[in-house]
Amino acid sequence: MIACDRLAHTSRWRTRPLAEKALLSLGLLALAVTLPPAGGALVLGVALTAALAAGTPPLALLRLIAAPMAFILTGALTLLVEIGADGIHLSATGATQAAALVLRALAAVVSLLLLAVTTPASELVQGLRRLGLSAEVAEVALATYRFLFVLQDTAAAIHATQTARLGTTGWRRRIRSTGMLVATLLPRALDRAHRLEVGLAARGFDGSLRTISPTRPAQGRRLALVAVLLVSVGVTGAWL
Amino acid sequence: MAMILEAKGLSYAYPGGVTALSGLDLGVQRGKRLAILGPNGAGKTTLLQHLNGTLKPSAGTVHLDGTIMGHGRTELAAWRRRVGLVLQEPDDQLFAPTVFEDVSFGPLNLGLSEAEARQRVIEALNSLRIADLAERPTHMLSFGQKKRAAIAGAVAMRPDVLLLDEPTAGLDQFGAVHLLAVLEKLQAGGATLVFTTHDVDLAWAWADDIALFDAGQVARQGRPEEVLADAEALSRARLKPPFLLELGLKARQRGWLGADQPLPRNRSDAMALLDGI
Ligand SMILES: Nc1ncnc2c1ncn2[C@@H]1O[C@H](COP(=O)(O)OP(=O)(O)OP(=O)(O)O)[C@@H](O)[C@H]1O
Ligand SMILES: [Mg+2]
Repeated sequence: MIACDRLAHTSRWRTRPLAEKALLSLGLLALAVTLPPAGGALVLGVALTAALAAGTPPLALLRLIAAPMAFILTGALTLLVEIGADGIHLSATGATQAAALVLRALAAVVSLLLLAVTTPASELVQGLRRLGLSAEVAEVALATYRFLFVLQDTAAAIHATQTARLGTTGWRRRIRSTGMLVATLLPRALDRAHRLEVGLAARGFDGSLRTISPTRPAQGRRLALVAVLLVSVGVTGAWL
Repeated sequence: MAMILEAKGLSYAYPGGVTALSGLDLGVQRGKRLAILGPNGAGKTTLLQHLNGTLKPSAGTVHLDGTIMGHGRTELAAWRRRVGLVLQEPDDQLFAPTVFEDVSFGPLNLGLSEAEARQRVIEALNSLRIADLAERPTHMLSFGQKKRAAIAGAVAMRPDVLLLDEPTAGLDQFGAVHLLAVLEKLQAGGATLVFTTHDVDLAWAWADDIALFDAGQVARQGRPEEVLADAEALSRARLKPPFLLELGLKARQRGWLGADQPLPRNRSDAMALLDGI
């Protein structure tokens, strides 16, 4: 999640309107789920090309794909075998079924990642806000988002000082240090929350976190372009 | 001299028993730069948080333009409209995803329209020279950049009094000089500045008025050449007189500087003095 955020903030598509990116990503996702396997391969190709065009480093993208891939592969493995009356044996149709599953799932994962690596989570929440998510929920989500990074910085700093003072050499010490880190993190987080409240109060906080969020109006022409792309992928994929 | 902000007999102890302020008196002159000088743990941060109503004293009062300020909801809102606070730690202040959004928070709370607020944000970012960081996420900044973003958040509200907790700590030399210039511009526009520091040289170079902290009280308040020359009072607060002040006094003693001539307060003053010998 934090890796995604870093990629999103440095993405070439960072300042593109959310509507365009969401349409492309969710449209590809829908196609990945509905098209036959050959179409899935096409969707995968388009999604990967788009992610790379957005400037996502290929290695970072691979790393993000790796975790869900592990799940998908274990799921696919079970399709390869068949349990019959005469014991376990390789399934005749299993291999093609497994390949189709992997292809389709992979296409879906990369389609969704396309949105995640080009749009920071905070902007996604703001987008949902425009779609009617309540202000309270959006504020809690944004505050959580901000806090995640403060906490991560704090945890990283504590870990660094523990390491610098040899607290993480040897598993016994490492366990002890980790325990202390976790124990320190909660009171720190509460203290941080309190001090943030002081900081906000000084600027007139009255219970709602209003800010001017950047508006990036979507261009109709570009949206139409994305729609044309999706339709042509859909038609080609169905025909393949 | 008219006082814009005054503290009378303030006492405060943190839950748990640490007494931070005990019967403190302080006056803030309108349109001036007041340095609150004291060592670590003296109670400077605690005092600033009383001056904008964040903390409520167990005894004593805070006066804004001669009126005793209460800690009710509406009174606090009015108070914070006029008295801004920049915390020591910028992470305690930045909460929004990007710098621009964060700085827009205060102006919107003032009830400004989005267009006016946007204008304020742009001005504040320009004056702190961080316009290029506007779209950057607040968690991907250096400490000094965070600090400037936090200050911009307060500056954009155009307060009458701006309280700054250790404003130059953590800034590089250029950043510190530049920040002081920004604050001077704010002051020229009519703002009153109060800042805390344990840097006697900064206090000497830049303050109009000094309040020296000691044991939860203001031990001395007055003009820099009086307070900062009082080596005894300073040493009780574990501080030493500023180097340039000592240099100037020595020069006077030797007759290199006339008794009516001003003491050197910065590097170029000191160079001019040496050239004159
Ligand atoms: N949240 C707290 N709970 C309990 N005691 C506190 C708390 N914050 C500060 N103190 C204590 O109150 C006293 C004054 O602290 P304060 O933070 O005001 O000092 P300061 O002059 O700002 O110091 P510094 O130069 O280190 O920032 C210190 O003795 C400190 O230990
Ligand atoms: Mg302090």
